[in-house]
Amino acid sequence: MELTRGKEKWVALAFMAPALLLVAMVSIYPIFVAVNWSLYETSYVQAVRYVGLDNFVALFTSENGVRNMVNSAVYVFSSILLVIPVSVLLAVLLNLKLRFRMLFRTMIILPWVISQTVTALLWKWMINANYGPITYMLEQIAGIKTDLLSTSPGANLSLIIANVWNTFPLALVLVLAALQTIPSELYEAGRVDGASGWKSFFHITLPLIRPTIMVAIITLSLEYFNMVTLIYVFTGGGPFSATETLSLRAFKEGFDYWNVALGSAFSVILFIFNILLSLIYIRLLRGRAH
Amino acid sequence: MQHLTARAKATAYTILILFSAFALVPILWAFGTSLKPENHILQYPPSWLPAEFTWNHYYNVLFRSNFPTYFLNSVMVTAISIVVSLFIASHAAYAASRFRFKGMNLLLFLILMTSMIPGIAVLIPLYLISVKVGIYDTFLVMILIYTAWRTPMLTWVLKGFFDAIPREIEEAAKVDGCSPWRAFYQLILPVSQPGLAASALLSAVYVWNDFLVAFSFTTKDDLRLLSVGLYNYITQYGINWGQLMAAVIISILPVVALFIGLQSKFVDGLSVGAVKG
Repeated sequence: MELTRGKEKWVALAFMAPALLLVAMVSIYPIFVAVNWSLYETSYVQAVRYVGLDNFVALFTSENGVRNMVNSAVYVFSSILLVIPVSVLLAVLLNLKLRFRMLFRTMIILPWVISQTVTALLWKWMINANYGPITYMLEQIAGIKTDLLSTSPGANLSLIIANVWNTFPLALVLVLAALQTIPSELYEAGRVDGASGWKSFFHITLPLIRPTIMVAIITLSLEYFNMVTLIYVFTGGGPFSATETLSLRAFKEGFDYWNVALGSAFSVILFIFNILLSLIYIRLLRGRAH
Repeated sequence: MQHLTARAKATAYTILILFSAFALVPILWAFGTSLKPENHILQYPPSWLPAEFTWNHYYNVLFRSNFPTYFLNSVMVTAISIVVSLFIASHAAYAASRFRFKGMNLLLFLILMTSMIPGIAVLIPLYLISVKVGIYDTFLVMILIYTAWRTPMLTWVLKGFFDAIPREIEEAAKVDGCSPWRAFYQLILPVSQPGLAASALLSAVYVWNDFLVAFSFTTKDDLRLLSVGLYNYITQYGINWGQLMAAVIISILPVVALFIGLQSKFVDGLSVGAVKG
């Protein structure tokens, strides 16, 4: 295409300007503000003194900081480990020519439009220690009535299940879209060679949807890693800090404890992690396009 | 793949039914609760079907609380944010799709790059900035943030749609003396409506569902959005679960209705957004 010159160049810039101005104000400038604040010791919103990387050192060496990282890792990995196999299985089933498959698809991916706030409230009520139906079912199985949110494994498990409930539709829809692009001739050719059922899944389907699964893993990892609302409303990070992830800590330091410097340091760490994962994501997409 | 044995079919249906139940039960349980009188809600073992029905919780939420205000606030903030971000993103996307000059790619990259910045990383600085500028605790600050956060994704998706529209349309118009502005408004935008609708839908659900911005940037009760109104129920001593679940059902009604009615648009928008955003 020919280069744009003269007056048209100004038109192009005018078209771009509002978007540039907005993201500069609301995303780019604030990141620099966060980096700047993370280098100070603060009292409320006043910088007390410059401390260099002390906040980051504190973050990586304090018992709580390490626990936040471990919690984030547990949360991201467990959720992914549950979501991916479940979505692949359901996508394969929904791709079969079964009756009612549109109805099943609608019902199964419905939780995707439910907010994290509502997800947390729904599951909080399902596992309510006094009146929850899940509490009752567990009592029938285990023989004792338990408050899931009062123990670390119980709270983590409940939180992860709620998260899986809310987010697996995203992976499912992506995988289903990928499955629909696989020509049925491939399966027929496979059958001639004796590949059917599991064999055809592992030798034909899986290799073809692997790039999509990778995209889903990275998109969801980022979402889980940055997640605040679900955890804040569901467990608040408790009991003690058993479910407090890095992102939740960033939010609480800033908005619950007014510790602007430490909150900013957590934010910067989150930002760096996001950049790294996004770069991997872009490489994957490039690889797929070629 | 299509020659399933009866047993394979039965297994497939069983799994699909189990997961449909997994997906629907929390919502149905909430709906059941919202229709039960207080003494049936606070009952153990819990009963699935309400023995008596009551609309009291809905009445209280709709007529004796500020919930309708929150609902209207959410409608307004969502609508304005989406219209403004579509306006801004479609202009940027058009420029990126149709004009080539040194620096254009850099400008586009700058806009798209910001989608890598997670909201939580800029929330604290945005709070400090909004207080300084004097827009903390206003609808304006929420709309600005939502608009800015949706713009990169929308720009990328819309650029894809514009790229697919043949350039000949505008070239013919240019010969007739049509300016780039008019070509955009009168030729390109009208043809891109399906693309605009799919991406607008996803962004609308995003804004409607957000909690963090609404929670962190407002304190006045009459500025609250739905999600914050819901959250406030569980911060009170002695949670009123009947009313809370009625409020939950009211708040998810619009998105669930949109989803059921326009499911294919959601699915299209989701795949496009996730692969391209």
